[in-house]
Amino acid sequence: MYQALLTRRYLTSKLMPLLAMAAVLLSVATILITWSVMGGFLNTLLNSGRTLIGDAYIAWPNVGFAHYEELSDRLEEHPRIEAAAPVIETYGMVRLPDDRVELIQVSGVDVESYTRVTGFGDTLWWKPLDKPARKDKQRRDLRVAPDNRPILQRFLDQGMAMERPDPETGLVLPAGILGIEVTGLNYRTAGGIYLPLNPTRNTPTGDFESLEMFMPRNGSISLTLLSLDSTGKPTDPVSRVMPISNEFQSGIYEVDSKTLIAPRDVIQKMLRMDEARRIDPDAAGGAFDYEVDPDTGQLRPAAPKAEIVDPARVTTLLIRGVPGSTPEEIREIAEEIYEAFATRHAGEVPDPFAIQIATWEDRNRTMIAAVKKETALVLVIFGIICFTTVFLVLAIFWSMISEKTRDIGILRALGASTAGVAWLWLRYGAAIGVVGATLGVVTGWLIVHNINGIHDWMGETFGLVIWDPRVYYFVEIPREVEPVKAAIVFTAGVMTCVLGAFIPALRSARMDPVKSLRFE
Amino acid sequence: MMAQADQAEESGTAFLRVEHLHKTYKLGRVPVPVLHGVELSVNKGECVAILGASGSGKSTLLHLCGGLDRPDRARNGNPRPSIVFDGKDIARAGKRELDRYRSHDVGFVFQFYHLLPELTVLENVTVGAMIRYGRFGYMAKRGECNERARALLESFGLGHRLKHRSSQLSGGERQRVAIARALINDPEMLLADEPTGNLDRNTGGAILDAIFEHRERTGLTVLMVTHDEAIAERADRVVRLVDGRVEGGGSGVPSGVDRPESGIGAGQSASGAPVR
Repeated sequence: MYQALLTRRYLTSKLMPLLAMAAVLLSVATILITWSVMGGFLNTLLNSGRTLIGDAYIAWPNVGFAHYEELSDRLEEHPRIEAAAPVIETYGMVRLPDDRVELIQVSGVDVESYTRVTGFGDTLWWKPLDKPARKDKQRRDLRVAPDNRPILQRFLDQGMAMERPDPETGLVLPAGILGIEVTGLNYRTAGGIYLPLNPTRNTPTGDFESLEMFMPRNGSISLTLLSLDSTGKPTDPVSRVMPISNEFQSGIYEVDSKTLIAPRDVIQKMLRMDEARRIDPDAAGGAFDYEVDPDTGQLRPAAPKAEIVDPARVTTLLIRGVPGSTPEEIREIAEEIYEAFATRHAGEVPDPFAIQIATWEDRNRTMIAAVKKETALVLVIFGIICFTTVFLVLAIFWSMISEKTRDIGILRALGASTAGVAWLWLRYGAAIGVVGATLGVVTGWLIVHNINGIHDWMGETFGLVIWDPRVYYFVEIPREVEPVKAAIVFTAGVMTCVLGAFIPALRSARMDPVKSLRFE
Repeated sequence: MMAQADQAEESGTAFLRVEHLHKTYKLGRVPVPVLHGVELSVNKGECVAILGASGSGKSTLLHLCGGLDRPDRARNGNPRPSIVFDGKDIARAGKRELDRYRSHDVGFVFQFYHLLPELTVLENVTVGAMIRYGRFGYMAKRGECNERARALLESFGLGHRLKHRSSQLSGGERQRVAIARALINDPEMLLADEPTGNLDRNTGGAILDAIFEHRERTGLTVLMVTHDEAIAERADRVVRLVDGRVEGGGSGVPSGVDRPESGIGAGQSASGAPVR
């Protein structure tokens, strides 16, 4: 009881505990801010990846696998699976409007199924917006201007249909969608929005020529793919010009700068993965057989007596689970379904043990692991720095106990036990920890919650821009504080104080009461 | 009273009996003997003054009697030391027993008051009860303890100072708060270490009056250390401590013998404290 009374009085009448409290406050707030921002960064990254890939996937790269529509239907019949999307994933070369040639990842998709699995529609950049982005304070975003609404709506529709009319012939052609960073024709502002550039280039006469180039309106690329036959052997490279109907921004630079999304049937044809018919060499008859033409009565080469149909193939099947499902659960379901599918099509599709069935996390394991390790590293470094609070509290308590030596003697003379005296200081440490950590959590939460405003203010006032959207591909700093993290940091803050008070408390308990009373 | 003391000693019924008490402190590596086989007995309700010069070991003796310190163990064929209080040998008591002894059976008053500066007057007094009864015990008796503390403080003329801090009090007031704190748990014995040593004569006299008035009402046993002959005169019996030894054995001499003519003796006792 006397511990509670003295704790209360020491807390309100001494300067030193305020210093200890301030140390705990700063430590707790620092850790919480760091953890929340880094954790938010990781979460945003993961969510972006999931948006692009879905929960799990089945893949047989390069050659691809057949009967994918049947597999897709069987997957979608499962109550835990919401959608599946057959996709062709390959690499190719693109020649850009400025004649640059870049290696690019190509995804051949069917818009309807791809949108159901990945949220692709939300990533299309050129579309009308009702209100500007929070950071676009200068209102430079072309997508907000009412005058641009009709054309942006057209870009959006064309993007969703993956087609664009040819300006000369009026024919509607299949079109691709480029990552917004691929062409270099868009400038990303500090507000996190993109503005189209009007680049120039040298002419043979030595002048500069301004390129009126805006990809969704009149931009096209030349795409070259190297196809493989069904046995995996490379065949001749295939090229075609592909109009661009829109651009997308996923938030992951690696994707936005190196990806082309194109209609699946176009890519299938280019890669010769579409349905093909050939003569069965084992069927009766041969190449030199003749037959009588009933119209003319003349002999002519005989028509093939038997054809083999090679079904169309895709390299990947993206799968999204119903809300509440986990990627691991979806992967297990996909494994079961594929096993039954492979049994039905034995010899036509890859063996269940060979095919790749994994989650989106597995696919991006390296990138995710890197960010997780960075987060852990930063936390460890800050943790070590904040651990010095233990020594600070220890030093403050050591000093306080020296100052309060006589009080300890008085309490012992009144009958206080050694454990009671030790508990007084431990309790005092815990009280400082609770107050300091509570203030730290509140401070940390306030800072994280307003971090973008604070950051903007720092930028405007001091010119200090740490989170530059031109460098980090998320426009805003993540500002979510997870209650579990706050609880862990709070507990650690309190424990820091108790730990710092522990040795001084032991010292106070071991003090000789007579010497304590005579202390001056 | 002297006859009572002798009788108590002979019959072995002394309230406090100290025997073969040795105590040596160490200054660095140098042992400094303070008490050399001290013998003392105090009867219930008796007021005994331990008189001695500075360094004679009187405070050490008081600390040992109050369970704040432990005597040296028996060595070199010396008999085992004992401090028997009301039949219990506190020289052989464990830590918990000593804590209980200090919180239940005795009350300390120190020369320098030793109040807790962060607490109010009332809290300084009740803190003793908090220690004695523990958290839950005190919660149950809170009202009773507060009432007793108020009554004690009012009896010492401090009823209007309950909410003040010790820094706002005079020396005499602080010592009266310290006495109230020592008495809050209704101890059997009051151990006073130079209770007037830091006060002027008038204030010191008033403090002694307060102690003796309380003793008169309750029959409290008082063991008081002083170097002032005049103060010692107000006790029932005076035990002189010289170089760590009791002069003339543990019984001491009755007060009033060779009484000085000046000082805080009976002549200045406003309250007429009993001098038997």
